[in-house]
Amino acid sequence: MRWLKIPPQIVRLLLVTFVIVSCYLILRQILTPVSFGAFGWYRAQALEEISARTPVFAGRQECDQCHAEILQTQAKFAHKTLGCETCHWVGQPHVEDPDVKTAKLTDHTCLRCHEQQAGRPAWFKQITSKKHYAEDRCTECHDGHKPDEK
Amino acid sequence: MKNQLNRRGLLGCIGGTVATILACSTLRKTKAAVQKFFISRQGPKGYDPTQHRWMVALDIERCIGCGLCVQACKTENHVPNSPSCFRTWVERYIIKKPKLASGETRGETVVDSPNGGMDGFHAPLIPKEEILNAFFVPKMCNLCEHSPCSQVCPVGATFDAPDGVVLVDPNYCIGCGFCVQACPYGCRFLNPTTKTADKCSLCYHRITRGLKPACVEICPTQARLFGDLKNLKQDDPIQKFFESGKAHASLKPHLGTGPRVIYASLDKEVR
Repeated sequence: MRWLKIPPQIVRLLLVTFVIVSCYLILRQILTPVSFGAFGWYRAQALEEISARTPVFAGRQECDQCHAEILQTQAKFAHKTLGCETCHWVGQPHVEDPDVKTAKLTDHTCLRCHEQQAGRPAWFKQITSKKHYAEDRCTECHDGHKPDEK
Repeated sequence: MKNQLNRRGLLGCIGGTVATILACSTLRKTKAAVQKFFISRQGPKGYDPTQHRWMVALDIERCIGCGLCVQACKTENHVPNSPSCFRTWVERYIIKKPKLASGETRGETVVDSPNGGMDGFHAPLIPKEEILNAFFVPKMCNLCEHSPCSQVCPVGATFDAPDGVVLVDPNYCIGCGFCVQACPYGCRFLNPTTKTADKCSLCYHRITRGLKPACVEICPTQARLFGDLKNLKQDDPIQKFFESGKAHASLKPHLGTGPRVIYASLDKEVR
Protein backbone atom coordinates (compact mmCIF):
# COMPACT_ATOMS: atom_id res chain seq x y z
CA MET A 1 0.00 0.00 0.00
CA ARG A 2 2.86 2.33 -0.76
CA TRP A 3 0.84 4.25 -3.30
CA LEU A 4 -1.54 5.68 -0.74
CA LYS A 5 0.85 6.41 2.09
CA ILE A 6 -1.82 5.48 4.61
CA PRO A 7 -0.86 3.32 7.57
CA PRO A 8 -2.02 -0.30 6.98
CA GLN A 9 -4.21 -0.43 10.12
CA ILE A 10 -6.21 2.56 8.82
CA VAL A 11 -6.54 0.91 5.42
CA ARG A 12 -7.85 -2.23 7.10
CA LEU A 13 -10.35 -0.17 9.10
CA LEU A 14 -11.50 1.61 5.94
CA LEU A 15 -11.91 -1.70 4.15
CA VAL A 16 -13.96 -3.19 7.01
CA THR A 17 -16.17 -0.06 7.04
CA PHE A 18 -16.61 -0.30 3.29
CA VAL A 19 -17.59 -3.98 3.52
CA ILE A 20 -20.13 -3.29 6.31
CA VAL A 21 -21.67 -0.31 4.50
CA SER A 22 -21.93 -2.18 1.21
CA CYS A 23 -23.49 -5.21 2.92
CA TYR A 24 -26.04 -2.88 4.51
CA LEU A 25 -26.82 -1.20 1.19
CA ILE A 26 -27.19 -4.52 -0.65
CA LEU A 27 -29.39 -6.03 2.08
CA ARG A 28 -31.53 -2.91 2.17
CA GLN A 29 -32.01 -3.09 -1.58
CA ILE A 30 -33.08 -6.73 -1.31
CA LEU A 31 -35.26 -6.47 1.80
CA THR A 32 -37.11 -3.16 1.37
CA PRO A 33 -40.16 -3.44 -0.87
CA VAL A 34 -39.97 -1.09 -3.87
CA SER A 35 -43.19 0.76 -3.08
CA PHE A 36 -42.14 1.38 0.53
CA GLY A 37 -42.20 5.13 1.16
CA ALA A 38 -44.14 6.15 -1.94
CA PHE A 39 -46.91 7.68 0.21
CA GLY A 40 -45.43 7.35 3.69
CA TRP A 41 -43.67 4.88 5.94
CA TYR A 42 -45.44 1.86 4.50
CA ARG A 43 -45.73 -0.31 1.40
CA ALA A 44 -47.84 1.67 -1.08
CA GLN A 45 -48.52 -1.53 -3.00
CA ALA A 46 -50.51 -2.80 0.00
CA LEU A 47 -53.31 -0.44 -1.09
CA GLU A 48 -53.68 -2.35 -4.36
CA GLU A 49 -53.37 -5.71 -2.66
CA ILE A 50 -56.11 -4.85 -0.15
CA SER A 51 -58.44 -3.54 -2.85
CA ALA A 52 -57.89 -6.58 -5.11
CA ARG A 53 -60.46 -8.72 -3.23
CA THR A 54 -63.84 -9.35 -4.85
CA PRO A 55 -66.91 -7.88 -3.12
CA VAL A 56 -69.42 -10.34 -1.65
CA PHE A 57 -72.41 -7.99 -1.57
CA ALA A 58 -73.18 -6.84 -5.10
CA GLY A 59 -74.79 -3.49 -4.24
CA ARG A 60 -78.13 -2.21 -5.47
CA GLN A 61 -76.77 -0.84 -8.77
CA GLU A 62 -76.18 -4.45 -9.83
CA CYS A 63 -79.73 -5.45 -8.83
CA ASP A 64 -81.10 -2.47 -10.77
CA GLN A 65 -79.81 -3.89 -14.05
CA CYS A 66 -82.38 -6.71 -14.09
CA HIS A 67 -84.89 -5.87 -11.36
CA ALA A 68 -85.41 -2.15 -12.06
CA GLU A 69 -89.22 -2.35 -11.67
CA ILE A 70 -88.97 -3.71 -8.14
CA LEU A 71 -86.49 -0.99 -7.19
CA GLN A 72 -88.81 1.68 -8.60
CA THR A 73 -91.77 0.26 -6.64
CA GLN A 74 -89.71 0.03 -3.49
CA ALA A 75 -88.59 3.68 -3.82
CA LYS A 76 -92.22 4.83 -3.38
CA PHE A 77 -92.78 3.09 -0.05
CA ALA A 78 -91.41 3.10 3.47
CA HIS A 79 -88.78 0.50 2.66
CA LYS A 80 -87.06 2.89 0.24
CA THR A 81 -83.99 3.17 2.46
CA LEU A 82 -83.35 -0.57 2.41
CA GLY A 83 -80.81 -2.10 0.11
CA CYS A 84 -81.91 -5.22 -1.76
CA GLU A 85 -79.35 -7.27 0.12
CA THR A 86 -80.59 -6.07 3.50
CA CYS A 87 -83.33 -8.70 3.27
CA HIS A 88 -82.26 -10.90 0.35
CA TRP A 89 -78.69 -11.08 1.66
CA VAL A 90 -75.53 -11.81 -0.38
CA GLY A 91 -76.17 -11.16 -4.06
CA GLN A 92 -72.85 -11.57 -5.89
CA PRO A 93 -73.31 -15.33 -6.63
CA HIS A 94 -76.75 -14.55 -8.07
CA VAL A 95 -75.29 -11.76 -10.23
CA GLU A 96 -72.68 -14.14 -11.64
CA ASP A 97 -75.15 -16.99 -12.19
CA PRO A 98 -78.88 -16.08 -12.10
CA ASP A 99 -79.78 -19.72 -11.37
CA VAL A 100 -78.18 -19.40 -7.95
CA LYS A 101 -80.94 -17.92 -5.82
CA THR A 102 -80.48 -15.55 -2.90
CA ALA A 103 -81.35 -16.60 0.66
CA LYS A 104 -84.98 -17.53 1.38
CA LEU A 105 -86.82 -14.96 3.45
CA THR A 106 -88.57 -15.97 6.66
CA ASP A 107 -90.64 -14.11 9.23
CA HIS A 108 -87.49 -13.74 11.24
CA THR A 109 -86.24 -11.41 8.47
CA CYS A 110 -89.07 -8.98 9.28
CA LEU A 111 -89.07 -9.45 13.04
CA ARG A 112 -85.33 -8.89 13.40
CA CYS A 113 -86.07 -5.21 12.86
CA HIS A 114 -89.77 -4.84 13.66
CA GLU A 115 -90.13 -6.71 16.97
CA GLN A 116 -91.01 -4.26 19.76
CA GLN A 117 -87.97 -3.62 21.94
CA ALA A 118 -86.50 -1.10 24.36
CA GLY A 119 -83.83 0.88 22.54
CA ARG A 120 -85.59 1.04 19.19
CA PRO A 121 -86.46 4.66 18.40
CA ALA A 122 -90.11 5.78 18.63
CA TRP A 123 -90.37 6.76 14.93
CA PHE A 124 -89.68 3.18 13.90
CA LYS A 125 -92.69 0.87 13.34
CA GLN A 126 -92.61 -1.98 15.83
CA ILE A 127 -94.97 -4.82 16.69
CA THR A 128 -95.21 -7.41 19.41
CA SER A 129 -95.39 -10.46 17.17
CA LYS A 130 -97.41 -12.56 19.64
CA LYS A 131 -100.12 -9.92 19.92
CA HIS A 132 -100.00 -8.62 16.34
CA TYR A 133 -100.89 -11.91 14.70
CA ALA A 134 -101.27 -15.30 16.29
CA GLU A 135 -98.89 -16.96 13.84
CA ASP A 136 -95.86 -15.32 12.30
CA ARG A 137 -96.85 -15.10 8.67
CA CYS A 138 -95.96 -11.51 7.75
CA THR A 139 -96.34 -11.87 3.98
CA GLU A 140 -99.99 -12.90 4.23
CA CYS A 141 -100.84 -9.23 4.73
CA HIS A 142 -97.66 -7.29 3.95
CA ASP A 143 -95.48 -7.04 0.86
CA GLY A 144 -91.85 -6.29 1.68
CA HIS A 145 -91.45 -4.13 -1.44
CA LYS A 146 -94.52 -1.99 -0.64
CA PRO A 147 -95.00 -2.35 3.11
CA ASP A 148 -97.37 0.65 3.44
CA GLU A 149 -100.11 -1.16 1.51
CA LYS A 150 -102.04 -3.54 3.71
CA MET B 1 0.24 -7.32 4.79
CA LYS B 2 1.27 -10.42 2.89
CA ASN B 3 -1.27 -10.52 0.06
CA GLN B 4 -1.03 -6.84 -0.63
CA LEU B 5 -3.98 -5.31 -2.42
CA ASN B 6 -2.97 -3.32 -5.47
CA ARG B 7 -4.79 -0.40 -6.98
CA ARG B 8 -6.40 -2.52 -9.73
CA GLY B 9 -7.73 -5.05 -7.22
CA LEU B 10 -9.12 -2.40 -4.90
CA LEU B 11 -10.85 -0.46 -7.66
CA GLY B 12 -12.25 -3.69 -9.09
CA CYS B 13 -13.63 -4.61 -5.68
CA ILE B 14 -15.34 -1.23 -5.22
CA GLY B 15 -16.68 -1.29 -8.78
CA GLY B 16 -18.05 -4.80 -8.27
CA THR B 17 -19.86 -3.80 -5.08
CA VAL B 18 -21.46 -0.74 -6.67
CA ALA B 19 -22.52 -2.87 -9.66
CA THR B 20 -24.10 -5.43 -7.28
CA ILE B 21 -26.10 -2.69 -5.51
CA LEU B 22 -27.33 -1.31 -8.85
CA ALA B 23 -28.17 -4.80 -10.13
CA CYS B 24 -30.15 -5.56 -6.95
CA SER B 25 -32.05 -2.33 -7.36
CA THR B 26 -32.95 -3.11 -11.00
CA LEU B 27 -33.90 -6.68 -10.12
CA ARG B 28 -36.29 -5.70 -7.34
CA LYS B 29 -37.87 -3.00 -9.51
CA THR B 30 -38.52 -5.63 -12.19
CA LYS B 31 -39.92 -8.04 -9.61
CA ALA B 32 -42.20 -5.30 -8.24
CA ALA B 33 -43.42 -4.40 -11.74
CA VAL B 34 -44.31 -8.05 -12.40
CA GLN B 35 -46.12 -8.33 -9.03
CA LYS B 36 -47.95 -5.07 -9.68
CA PHE B 37 -49.11 -6.33 -13.06
CA PHE B 38 -50.68 -9.43 -11.54
CA ILE B 39 -52.28 -7.58 -8.61
CA SER B 40 -53.70 -4.69 -10.65
CA ARG B 41 -55.30 -7.20 -13.04
CA GLN B 42 -57.66 -8.28 -10.24
CA GLY B 43 -58.07 -4.89 -8.61
CA PRO B 44 -60.23 -1.90 -9.46
CA LYS B 45 -59.20 0.37 -12.32
CA GLY B 46 -58.44 4.06 -12.08
CA TYR B 47 -58.70 4.62 -8.35
CA ASP B 48 -56.45 7.43 -7.13
CA PRO B 49 -56.21 7.44 -3.31
CA THR B 50 -55.01 11.06 -3.24
CA GLN B 51 -58.29 12.28 -4.79
CA HIS B 52 -60.56 11.08 -1.95
CA ARG B 53 -61.10 11.68 1.76
CA TRP B 54 -63.59 9.20 3.15
CA MET B 55 -65.75 9.74 6.19
CA VAL B 56 -68.63 8.00 7.94
CA ALA B 57 -71.58 9.47 9.82
CA LEU B 58 -73.52 7.37 12.32
CA ASP B 59 -76.95 8.53 13.42
CA ILE B 60 -77.88 7.01 16.77
CA GLU B 61 -81.50 8.13 16.47
CA ARG B 62 -81.86 6.07 13.33
CA CYS B 63 -80.15 2.89 14.57
CA ILE B 64 -82.70 0.17 15.36
CA GLY B 65 -80.21 -2.41 16.62
CA CYS B 66 -80.94 -5.08 14.02
CA GLY B 67 -77.25 -5.99 13.89
CA LEU B 68 -77.37 -6.68 10.14
CA CYS B 69 -74.34 -4.43 9.68
CA VAL B 70 -72.26 -6.66 11.95
CA GLN B 71 -73.37 -9.78 10.12
CA ALA B 72 -72.74 -8.14 6.74
CA CYS B 73 -69.26 -7.05 7.82
CA LYS B 74 -68.34 -10.56 8.93
CA THR B 75 -69.63 -12.00 5.65
CA GLU B 76 -68.01 -9.41 3.41
CA ASN B 77 -64.61 -9.44 5.07
CA HIS B 78 -64.44 -13.12 6.10
CA VAL B 79 -63.93 -12.14 9.73
CA PRO B 80 -63.58 -15.27 11.92
CA ASN B 81 -66.76 -16.16 13.75
CA SER B 82 -65.16 -15.70 17.17
CA PRO B 83 -66.82 -13.51 19.81
CA SER B 84 -63.66 -11.40 20.03
CA CYS B 85 -63.27 -10.63 16.32
CA PHE B 86 -65.35 -7.70 15.13
CA ARG B 87 -64.56 -5.02 12.60
CA THR B 88 -67.80 -3.35 13.55
CA TRP B 89 -70.24 -4.07 16.33
CA VAL B 90 -73.34 -2.58 17.94
CA GLU B 91 -73.67 -1.72 21.62
CA ARG B 92 -76.92 -1.27 23.50
CA TYR B 93 -76.95 1.45 26.16
CA ILE B 94 -79.67 1.32 28.78
CA ILE B 95 -79.83 4.26 31.14
CA LYS B 96 -81.87 3.38 34.22
CA LYS B 97 -84.15 5.74 36.07
CA PRO B 98 -82.48 7.29 39.12
CA LYS B 99 -83.15 5.75 42.52
CA LEU B 100 -85.86 7.53 44.49
CA ALA B 101 -84.66 10.46 46.60
CA SER B 102 -81.11 10.09 45.22
CA GLY B 103 -81.28 13.59 43.76
CA GLU B 104 -79.72 12.45 40.45
CA THR B 105 -81.27 12.99 37.05
CA ARG B 106 -80.32 9.58 35.68
CA GLY B 107 -79.43 6.21 37.14
CA GLU B 108 -76.93 3.52 36.31
CA THR B 109 -75.88 2.92 32.69
CA VAL B 110 -75.89 -0.69 31.51
CA VAL B 111 -74.07 -1.52 28.26
CA ASP B 112 -74.33 -4.84 26.50
CA SER B 113 -73.42 -6.21 23.11
CA PRO B 114 -74.31 -9.93 22.89
CA ASN B 115 -72.00 -11.43 20.22
CA GLY B 116 -71.33 -7.90 19.00
CA GLY B 117 -75.02 -7.53 18.15
CA MET B 118 -74.51 -9.90 15.24
CA ASP B 119 -77.64 -11.97 15.90
CA GLY B 120 -79.72 -8.93 16.76
CA PHE B 121 -80.82 -7.98 20.26
CA HIS B 122 -83.38 -9.63 22.49
CA ALA B 123 -85.53 -7.65 24.89
CA PRO B 124 -83.37 -6.50 27.81
CA LEU B 125 -83.62 -8.22 31.20
CA ILE B 126 -84.15 -4.86 32.85
CA PRO B 127 -87.92 -4.25 33.28
CA LYS B 128 -89.47 -1.49 31.16
CA GLU B 129 -90.45 0.62 34.17
CA GLU B 130 -86.82 1.00 35.26
CA ILE B 131 -85.55 2.23 31.89
CA LEU B 132 -85.15 5.96 31.43
CA ASN B 133 -83.60 5.84 28.00
CA ALA B 134 -82.21 3.15 25.73
CA PHE B 135 -80.44 3.35 22.41
CA PHE B 136 -78.06 1.48 20.13
CA VAL B 137 -74.58 2.69 19.22
CA PRO B 138 -72.83 1.24 16.17
CA LYS B 139 -69.06 1.15 16.59
CA MET B 140 -66.32 0.83 14.00
CA CYS B 141 -62.87 2.21 13.16
CA ASN B 142 -62.99 5.93 13.86
CA LEU B 143 -60.76 6.83 10.88
CA CYS B 144 -58.50 9.00 13.03
CA GLU B 145 -56.72 11.95 11.50
CA HIS B 146 -53.85 11.25 13.92
CA SER B 147 -54.23 7.52 14.40
CA PRO B 148 -52.51 6.15 17.52
CA CYS B 149 -52.43 2.65 16.00
CA SER B 150 -50.29 3.60 13.04
CA GLN B 151 -47.97 5.66 15.26
CA VAL B 152 -47.02 2.64 17.37
CA CYS B 153 -46.56 0.10 14.57
CA PRO B 154 -42.86 -0.84 14.65
CA VAL B 155 -42.70 -2.15 11.07
CA GLY B 156 -44.89 0.24 9.09
CA ALA B 157 -47.58 -2.41 8.57
CA THR B 158 -50.46 -0.18 9.60
CA PHE B 159 -50.82 3.22 8.07
CA ASP B 160 -53.09 6.12 7.15
CA ALA B 161 -53.73 5.79 3.43
CA PRO B 162 -53.84 9.08 1.45
CA ASP B 163 -57.64 8.76 1.28
CA GLY B 164 -57.92 8.76 5.07
CA VAL B 165 -58.56 5.05 5.60
CA VAL B 166 -56.40 3.39 8.26
CA LEU B 167 -55.31 0.06 6.83
CA VAL B 168 -53.28 -3.00 7.84
CA ASP B 169 -50.81 -4.52 5.40
CA PRO B 170 -51.29 -8.23 6.22
CA ASN B 171 -48.10 -9.22 4.39
CA TYR B 172 -46.02 -6.89 6.55
CA CYS B 173 -47.70 -7.22 9.96
CA ILE B 174 -45.71 -9.22 12.52
CA GLY B 175 -48.69 -9.62 14.87
CA CYS B 176 -47.06 -7.91 17.86
CA GLY B 177 -50.37 -6.44 18.97
CA PHE B 178 -49.08 -2.94 19.86
CA CYS B 179 -51.78 -1.38 17.70
CA VAL B 180 -54.48 -3.40 19.45
CA GLN B 181 -53.41 -1.81 22.72
CA ALA B 182 -52.97 1.64 21.21
CA CYS B 183 -56.44 1.99 19.71
CA PRO B 184 -58.49 3.96 22.25
CA TYR B 185 -61.73 2.77 20.67
CA GLY B 186 -61.00 -0.97 20.88
CA CYS B 187 -61.45 -1.33 17.14
CA ARG B 188 -58.56 -3.72 16.53
CA PHE B 189 -58.04 -7.41 17.18
CA LEU B 190 -55.55 -10.12 16.31
CA ASN B 191 -57.05 -12.33 13.64
CA PRO B 192 -56.64 -15.95 14.82
CA THR B 193 -56.57 -17.22 11.21
CA THR B 194 -53.98 -14.90 9.72
CA LYS B 195 -52.20 -14.16 13.04
CA THR B 196 -52.04 -10.50 12.05
CA ALA B 197 -53.75 -7.37 13.32
CA ASP B 198 -57.15 -6.84 11.73
CA LYS B 199 -59.58 -3.95 11.70
CA CYS B 200 -62.26 -2.19 9.70
CA SER B 201 -60.80 -1.35 6.29
CA LEU B 202 -63.93 0.63 5.37
CA CYS B 203 -64.38 -2.23 2.87
CA TYR B 204 -61.46 -0.87 0.86
CA HIS B 205 -62.08 -3.40 -1.93
CA ARG B 206 -65.62 -2.03 -2.27
CA ILE B 207 -65.05 1.72 -1.98
CA THR B 208 -62.26 1.60 -4.57
CA ARG B 209 -64.83 0.10 -6.97
CA GLY B 210 -67.38 2.83 -6.27
CA LEU B 211 -69.51 0.69 -3.95
CA LYS B 212 -70.48 1.56 -0.38
CA PRO B 213 -68.97 -0.37 2.54
CA ALA B 214 -70.99 -3.51 3.34
CA CYS B 215 -72.41 -2.11 6.62
CA VAL B 216 -73.62 1.08 4.89
CA GLU B 217 -75.08 -0.90 1.98
CA ILE B 218 -76.97 -3.20 4.36
CA CYS B 219 -78.17 -0.67 6.97
CA PRO B 220 -81.97 -0.55 6.55
CA THR B 221 -82.52 2.87 8.13
CA GLN B 222 -79.57 4.90 6.82
CA ALA B 223 -78.16 5.12 10.31
CA ARG B 224 -74.78 4.67 8.64
CA LEU B 225 -73.85 7.21 6.01
CA PHE B 226 -70.72 7.19 3.94
CA GLY B 227 -69.20 9.94 1.84
CA ASP B 228 -66.17 11.55 0.28
CA LEU B 229 -65.17 14.89 1.79
CA LYS B 230 -63.15 15.82 -1.30
CA ASN B 231 -66.02 15.19 -3.75
CA LEU B 232 -69.18 16.26 -1.91
CA LYS B 233 -72.14 16.42 -4.26
CA GLN B 234 -75.30 18.45 -3.71
CA ASP B 235 -77.52 15.49 -2.79
CA ASP B 236 -74.78 13.58 -0.98
CA PRO B 237 -76.07 11.86 2.19
CA ILE B 238 -73.12 13.32 4.12
CA GLN B 239 -73.97 16.82 2.87
CA LYS B 240 -77.57 16.32 4.00
CA PHE B 241 -76.36 15.00 7.34
CA PHE B 242 -74.41 18.19 8.03
CA GLU B 243 -77.21 20.42 6.71
CA SER B 244 -79.82 18.69 8.90
CA GLY B 245 -78.48 20.67 11.86
CA LYS B 246 -78.29 17.65 14.15
CA ALA B 247 -75.74 18.01 16.91
CA HIS B 248 -72.76 15.88 15.98
CA ALA B 249 -69.74 14.76 17.94
CA SER B 250 -66.96 12.21 17.80
CA LEU B 251 -65.92 9.68 20.42
CA LYS B 252 -63.26 10.65 23.01
CA PRO B 253 -62.49 14.06 21.47
CA HIS B 254 -60.11 14.88 24.34
CA LEU B 255 -57.59 12.36 22.99
CA GLY B 256 -56.92 14.55 19.95
CA THR B 257 -57.21 11.68 17.50
CA GLY B 258 -59.49 13.71 15.21
CA PRO B 259 -61.88 10.93 14.14
CA ARG B 260 -63.59 11.17 10.77
CA VAL B 261 -66.43 9.00 12.08
CA ILE B 262 -69.06 11.45 13.29
CA TYR B 263 -71.98 10.54 15.52
CA ALA B 264 -75.31 12.36 15.57
CA SER B 265 -77.37 12.53 18.78
CA LEU B 266 -74.51 11.13 20.84
CA ASP B 267 -75.29 10.70 24.53
CA LYS B 268 -72.61 11.78 26.98
CA GLU B 269 -72.53 8.27 28.46
CA VAL B 270 -71.14 6.80 25.24
CA ARG B 271 -67.40 6.14 25.39
